[in-house]
Amino acid sequence: MIDNGLLVQMLIGALLGLSVYLPLAAGQLSLATPAFYAVGGTLAALLSTRWSALGATAAGTLPLGSFVLELVLGGLLAGLLALLVGRLVLRLQGIYLAIATIALVEIVRVAILNLPFTGGAVGIFAIPQPFSSASGYLVPALALLALAGWLCQRLEAMPLGRAMAAIRDDELAARCMGIDTTKVKLSAFVLSAVLAGSSGALAAHFLNTWNARQGSFDASITTLAFVVLGGSRSWLGPVLGGLLLTALPELLRPVGDVRLVLFGLVILLGPVLAPQGLITQALLERLGRWGEGKER
Amino acid sequence: MSAPVLEVQELSRRFGGLLALDQVSFAVQPGEIFGLIGPNGAGKTTLFNLISGVTPPSSGAVLWQGTPITGRPPDQLNRLGLARTFQNLRLFEGLSVLDNLLVALHHHPRSSALDGLLSSGRHRRAEHQRLDVAWQLLEELGLAELAERQAGTLAYGDRRRLEMARALATRPQLLLLDEPAAGLNPAEKEGLGQLIAGLRQRHQLTVLIIEHHVPLLMRLCDRLAVLDFGVRIALGSPDQVRQDPKVIEAYLGSGSNAAGDAP
Repeated sequence: MIDNGLLVQMLIGALLGLSVYLPLAAGQLSLATPAFYAVGGTLAALLSTRWSALGATAAGTLPLGSFVLELVLGGLLAGLLALLVGRLVLRLQGIYLAIATIALVEIVRVAILNLPFTGGAVGIFAIPQPFSSASGYLVPALALLALAGWLCQRLEAMPLGRAMAAIRDDELAARCMGIDTTKVKLSAFVLSAVLAGSSGALAAHFLNTWNARQGSFDASITTLAFVVLGGSRSWLGPVLGGLLLTALPELLRPVGDVRLVLFGLVILLGPVLAPQGLITQALLERLGRWGEGKER
Repeated sequence: MSAPVLEVQELSRRFGGLLALDQVSFAVQPGEIFGLIGPNGAGKTTLFNLISGVTPPSSGAVLWQGTPITGRPPDQLNRLGLARTFQNLRLFEGLSVLDNLLVALHHHPRSSALDGLLSSGRHRRAEHQRLDVAWQLLEELGLAELAERQAGTLAYGDRRRLEMARALATRPQLLLLDEPAAGLNPAEKEGLGQLIAGLRQRHQLTVLIIEHHVPLLMRLCDRLAVLDFGVRIALGSPDQVRQDPKVIEAYLGSGSNAAGDAP
């Protein structure tokens, strides 16, 4: 039922969930993830179809090294954009930040739709493939997710991660403890963008075509739902949410159009039945005790 | 006498039509415990907010060891050596007691993000040092047994002490305490004076303290300033302040029993 193609999509979902989670871990509700995802994907699509130095062949293959380079460049470009935009929008708080980041998603979408070199509504197609089948993408997607998970895990034992948690609890108190909150929030925002940009570059090759619809307001809501359903107190939450909510519409395909209703119900009932998300602090503690063998 | 740690010059703050603070001036000398008293709404917390950079003043100046610092943001002021607590307690309630201190210790010592990511020797040494300092402070303030507890679940008195510990973790020269006795039980209030005096000695602190519990301040403070409706109406030693007719009229003598309580 779950083929390799869906697995790759699920992993990309988990990556995008983490991208929403990072600013949220510093108390910042940013919905900009799809914008950075679109920027990374568009860059990868453009580079691999237009820039012959990357070594794309007429048969539509691409050297692995070029693919990895695109992941890095997609992340960097998105990160750079986040650095510029973040200085401006991170002055806003709460719902105002959310609205400003939705505006960013729209601006990027309209730009990609109308720029002379991004293929308009059709987009860019026949993007060269570094792998001969979908299963090939499992390795880079897993590697990227492992890297992102490791980063989130390390953050918890670092001053930066602690400062993020402090800002989430009480920004003013954090400032009064000498934390440069602007810098910390910007760091989280840029990390989130780099992750989304690299994921976009990966997705562009995996999907073979890329257009402006990849980064839309819909995607903002879906990626936010990953975090809401999975839980935002640990990075495992958005990973689980991303995996589940990406798989669900496909798994429900046999029931026909009702699947969209069921999908909607899950998003609706998730926060009602598990307000803290599926992965909660209490659950992690229980798992931790169980892991140590103290609980029978 | 050496240069004052903190000097406030004709500081005013207007909120719409309300003049919350009207040209208040005083200087805090190194090592002293300086008290701020005044009836509710006298502008004491406003003054703290202006000094700690939380609110910008409408006019006037704040000097830190002679250098103007007016309008600087709170994080910069904290790194200069000024730490505060809050009247209404602003702990990081979702974090453990220990983590509350580790957050405040992020600069002591500094370690780069790269070191942290790679968990380099330098990062581990820095973490070790942070943990050492955090545990010392927890011991000193009697919070060691609560280290793993979530800060939001602590009893009120413990929270007050945790806020002090957290402020101390930033290694201040000047500690601003906003009503540290509020909400404490009588036994805790009794111990508070000794605690603050001890902290001053062990951490070489200068302390600026707002408190409604006047007897405590009279015992503890080297000097006091009295605010009333945003105006500084008196300044001096506890004895001078106690005998000041303006203070008696505006504050101590206004039907409160504070004068009677004073030793």
